[in-house]
Amino acid sequence: MATIRIPTPLRKYTQGKEEVQVAGATVHAVIEALESSHPGIRERILDDAGKVRRFVNVFVGEEDIRFLENLETPVAERDEISIIPAIAGG
Amino acid sequence: MSAGAGGHYLVLGAGGLGCPALLGLVAAGAEAITIVDHDVVDASNLQRQVLYTTADVGMAKVEAAAVRLRSRDPRVQLRTHRVHLDAASLGPLLAAQPAGTIVLECSDAPGLKFLANDTCLSGQLPLVVGGVQRWRGQVQAVVRGHACLRCMFEGPPPPELQESCSQVGVMGAAAGLLGFWMAQMAVALRAGSPVAGTLWAIDTRTLAPQQMRPRPRPDCPACGADV
Repeated sequence: MATIRIPTPLRKYTQGKEEVQVAGATVHAVIEALESSHPGIRERILDDAGKVRRFVNVFVGEEDIRFLENLETPVAERDEISIIPAIAGG
Repeated sequence: MSAGAGGHYLVLGAGGLGCPALLGLVAAGAEAITIVDHDVVDASNLQRQVLYTTADVGMAKVEAAAVRLRSRDPRVQLRTHRVHLDAASLGPLLAAQPAGTIVLECSDAPGLKFLANDTCLSGQLPLVVGGVQRWRGQVQAVVRGHACLRCMFEGPPPPELQESCSQVGVMGAAAGLLGFWMAQMAVALRAGSPVAGTLWAIDTRTLAPQQMRPRPRPDCPACGADV
């Protein structure tokens, strides 16, 4: 199963866990599986149209999914997926 | 002993990030610093805005900051601008800066961070943009030819999802860490170190940094033409 690194602001949906292992063949499938086990988290990552929110970035390993196949980017066993939200306070 | 930072730095925001960034720049030997902020010191700021004391409450932040910095090193040339930064004021401010200026975006305004990204790129001013909330933060150095802030995040959150530090809080030490980090990145940029484009993120509860190296996006509205 792939490992998703959960950013601090979203850990309230994962009972404080900073990493969650989820099965899914694509990034989209992984996010849907994450939502199934941790309801509410999807809408913090995806907008109403089902696209990644503008102030969030998703990496598979070190690759930005926008350079790959976006949400249809394949996910392999042992891949690490990072969800990076913008932090804009000062 | 200074790091020989030299040069001129423009610091946008003299709050949680700006205060430690200013201290870091002075300590590193900056020749000249321009400080920009519209706000006055409030008692609620003091837990993280480390340049100020209770004696400064009610004083314009840029003036209070200048007094504190001069007391630390009277050799630094300081200029202050008490102005609210927005799309109308930022462009002329940046255009007026001398060549070689490095900009540090330390405000609490998400939209301003992206505006500074766009304007500094078009004006070819190196930029260090930082953000801090609660106990976590991010820093990225933006230079043409490398991934910019919009390559990483296409835009700021909508207003209804924006959370300011005064609303959600920020650990003083986290702001201090990120602000000094920003100063060090600015010094590194001046020294020609290859720090541009990489985003560093840190959760200060675990102190585990995360480093992302986004690629410049060809369709980035801010820097795509450079790719």
